[in-house]
Amino acid sequence: MAQTTAADDQALRDRFERDVLPLLPSLYGAAMRLTRDPSDAEDLVQETYLRAFRGFSGFKEGTNLKAWLYRILTNTFINTYRKKQREPQIVEGPDDIEEWYLYDKLGGRSVEASAETEVLDQIPDAEVKAALESLPENFRIPVLLADVEGFSYKEIAEIMETPIGTVMSRLHRGRKALEKALWETARARGLVDE
Amino acid sequence: MSEHGVNCEETLKEIERFLDGELDQSSQGEISHHVSDCHPCMQRVEFRRSLKLMISTKCGTEAVPDELGRKIRALIHELDPHPHA
Repeated sequence: MAQTTAADDQALRDRFERDVLPLLPSLYGAAMRLTRDPSDAEDLVQETYLRAFRGFSGFKEGTNLKAWLYRILTNTFINTYRKKQREPQIVEGPDDIEEWYLYDKLGGRSVEASAETEVLDQIPDAEVKAALESLPENFRIPVLLADVEGFSYKEIAEIMETPIGTVMSRLHRGRKALEKALWETARARGLVDE
Repeated sequence: MSEHGVNCEETLKEIERFLDGELDQSSQGEISHHVSDCHPCMQRVEFRRSLKLMISTKCGTEAVPDELGRKIRALIHELDPHPHA
């Protein structure tokens, strides 16, 4: 292996700072949704940056950096923090939720189509976050990656190291579970009648 | 409806992939076309679109602790980027 020089190291550090550090807000947000705790989220993000930096010389420039980082974040979370949190790994999710659960619950309340979304807009950010965080991890991760981070199914499959069909089915079930959690939140807040 | 168009059932079945932009261009176009002509489907599509946007907006912002960026920079400067070299 060729000797690396101090100049090479400095170039690598500069590239890392330029390309990877700006992703901190998005990685920290994802870490919060995963760990549900600010102190664990900080630790998770630091560990992710540490691992990313160690692997960065092997990262091929021009390939999908954001997906690469989320894969490290997700793996670190699963291997470290999940064990710590002792969350039972729920593979089976809620399957008995109707296809149009939230739409049907909110629908028929008004002839105005926007009335349904107005209810949702009134739910405070913190409670929408809590609803997402209430999902079992196997369903929370794909919903977070698709709807919050905007990854494609293919990218999510790579990040989670699962087949694309599994991603689609968990995403679908996760979204339905989230609809149910949001309905319960809206109801608890008195935004909707029983 | 055109001969190659999709019906309501097919539209609603594909709605998630449609809103996620995961369909091929021709299926994406067929569904767009159907939705623009079908009020009940449009309402459902718009509802799911708003829901997705609401989740993304409300879950996507998190104030990063002031110290965290600084800690990470310090961490990087202490590390050897080629631990196995």
